[in-house]
Amino acid sequence: MNARSVSRRAFLGTAGAGALAATVALGTDALAHPPGAGAAVPKGLDAAVPFEGAHQAGIVTPVQDRLLFASFDVVSDDRTALVQMLKDWTSAARRMAAGEMIGTDNDDLVAPPDDTGEAQDLGPQSLTLTFGFGTSLFDRADDPFGIAARKPDALAPMPAFARDEIRPEMSEGDLAIQSCANDPTVAFHAIRDLARIGRGVVALRWSQQGFGRTSVTDTNQVTPRNLMGFKDGTNNIVVEDTGALDDHVWVGPKDDPDWMRGGSYLVTRRIRMMLEIWDRSTLSDQELTFGRNKGEGAPLGAHEEHDAVNLKATKDGALLIPENAHIRLAAPAANDGVRILRRGFSFTDGIDPVTNQLDAGLFFIAYQRDPRTGFIPVQRHLATDALNEYIRHESTGTFACPPGVGAKGFVGETLFD
Amino acid sequence: MFRTTGRALLGAALSGAVVVVGLADPATAKSKDVKVEISDDGCPAKLTIKAGPNTFKVTNSGSGDVSEFEILSGNRIIGEVENVAPGLNKAFSLTLKPGNYTTKCPGGSEHSTGKLVVRGSTDTKLSADGKAAVDQYRQYLEAQTAELVTTTKGFTDAVDAGNLDQAKALYAPSRVAYERIEPVAETFGDLDPKIDAREGDVPKNAWGGYHYIEQKLWVDGTTNGLSSYTKDLNDNVATLQNLVKDVDLQPAGIANGAVELLNEVSRSKITGEEERYSRTDLVDFEANVQGAEAAYDAVKPILQKKNPQLVADLDANFAAVYAALQPYKTGDTYVAYTALTDDDTKALSQVIDALAEPLSKVSKQVVGS
Repeated sequence: MNARSVSRRAFLGTAGAGALAATVALGTDALAHPPGAGAAVPKGLDAAVPFEGAHQAGIVTPVQDRLLFASFDVVSDDRTALVQMLKDWTSAARRMAAGEMIGTDNDDLVAPPDDTGEAQDLGPQSLTLTFGFGTSLFDRADDPFGIAARKPDALAPMPAFARDEIRPEMSEGDLAIQSCANDPTVAFHAIRDLARIGRGVVALRWSQQGFGRTSVTDTNQVTPRNLMGFKDGTNNIVVEDTGALDDHVWVGPKDDPDWMRGGSYLVTRRIRMMLEIWDRSTLSDQELTFGRNKGEGAPLGAHEEHDAVNLKATKDGALLIPENAHIRLAAPAANDGVRILRRGFSFTDGIDPVTNQLDAGLFFIAYQRDPRTGFIPVQRHLATDALNEYIRHESTGTFACPPGVGAKGFVGETLFD
Repeated sequence: MFRTTGRALLGAALSGAVVVVGLADPATAKSKDVKVEISDDGCPAKLTIKAGPNTFKVTNSGSGDVSEFEILSGNRIIGEVENVAPGLNKAFSLTLKPGNYTTKCPGGSEHSTGKLVVRGSTDTKLSADGKAAVDQYRQYLEAQTAELVTTTKGFTDAVDAGNLDQAKALYAPSRVAYERIEPVAETFGDLDPKIDAREGDVPKNAWGGYHYIEQKLWVDGTTNGLSSYTKDLNDNVATLQNLVKDVDLQPAGIANGAVELLNEVSRSKITGEEERYSRTDLVDFEANVQGAEAAYDAVKPILQKKNPQLVADLDANFAAVYAALQPYKTGDTYVAYTALTDDDTKALSQVIDALAEPLSKVSKQVVGS
């Protein structure tokens, strides 16, 4: 993993310039507009992230502060209408990523404006929109879209895991959009207007707001803390680690199906944290649960956050990082070297009406080359995780995110063309 | 449902609000000069001009701190001049639609931004297609209000006769014609609240009309003490019948009225807030959709020439709404709102949204016809 020094935290907010440019090959049009004009890469939190590229934005591009994730049901069986909507979504997404209003008519008194307008003064705010196709789109009765034969084997149904309390009405979906930005209004506006464009073809199924990223995908970002107060994204795959991205995140050039090459599989989990219970546990219990100390985020037995995790270290004959510690069970070393790219956010949806406790936790987002060798075995391995006492998985989603688009393409063209 | 905000819907002229129709034709209209003086203070605080082609003649009376004048729509610059040195004047032309714009004079000490209000000229001349649309819809209004007068009389007769069961049976059907044309009734000041206010919409001592009687019939289980209310209701629907004969209609307004009827469905029928006691919300639901379809039918010939694809989409979407309602039909009425599950209302809500979104694009297509 990347060794980093504490002093680099001072660079929070400046994007990993060179590395980003390397991963985004085709981004030109989106940059033709201010405030990113002339710059090949984002300069600050409010700058534009190029929409176009070999891969979709919003996977390895720097994690923003805000999320609105939306899942849709397709309510039409008309393939032409679905493809047209994807084209319309793409052109709207291009403009929004550049901080521009969508549509052609926003000042005509006798018509509803094309753009709903709430984000028009806010700039791009690093908005990324990442699109994915759900299992049910391929499994639809009578295959109206003609894509059943193109369903990736990797897009298998998510198995039930021990302790799951999944609520189907807020899980899965035919289509998903991950909207991330450094301003919550910008993230909301994108989903709102895309849902409006899709009306009659898609209907919102569920959505999840998120704040406070819980992991980084860029060495210039400081590892943030989750709502339990711990740093839990330290050993994430970062954009600079192109070898790991190719091995673990991107669907490879020889992987099947061909339309997914350059794409990635997205797994989402709404993980409710039983914060009232957590808050009553001793610091020692908390640290033994994660396997890290709370203050620095260092693995137990080490001193600094990015020190290597020594799973074998003992003291007085006992493992320093217990058998059931989260960091041990989730570590690549304990999972045949499996790594996934995490991009989760904290969430709160107010108060649980039954218990009057906080309805809050982690909206887990992971991207990987194949969930069958990524999230699924890791999650199976977490069955004995000490953390399970304090968390509850309430929603699940699996989506095939196709590769990025060029100046003229549309999201999903490799599947539908 | 009665709403307190009197937005301009169908009868723009009557409500006094401005729905601008008949935009100036840029090809034939003559460009007007607009003198703009920028200074070290910045832009003029506010400019008000007429829609259509305008030529902005910009002069600079300052020392040169400010030398640029821009016009923005939202955050887009749609016209500008730069390097207007003191003493110079520069000009640019722009065809503007009615609306609110922003001006910008970067560096201005007082007004680095200003307002630009573009007013539309109201042209009431209708094309042959436009006239046909207006005539067709007026006939519909007259037929519906005539039906309303008749059905209301039948309903109130049952109330006045003390026949509770019959009054309850006639309540929902008697309101159907009203629900089909409600946006028109809403343009006549306090007439809509007198006919259709729900409890809490108006002060308690002013509450009357359909929903007052509904509450008495279902909650109190009585027809007693309603004679002054049934008389007022008949008087008010008769007034409505007279008023619609002269209501000012425009094709764009008719199209907006269709959208407004679907908004009624979204706002109060799908949520079961309209018929709190009788639970006959789905009867109103269908009537709102029928009224929207009638308004849409009136402007359809115009739309067919301009955007046949939109016509095809809307026809399919109307059919989808009726198909979604079909399972809840029992004989010539509908199941009670309370029989619907959350999944049912969700599905109904989605087909209404799917219809209303493209329908909201019609008025723009037929404006000025």
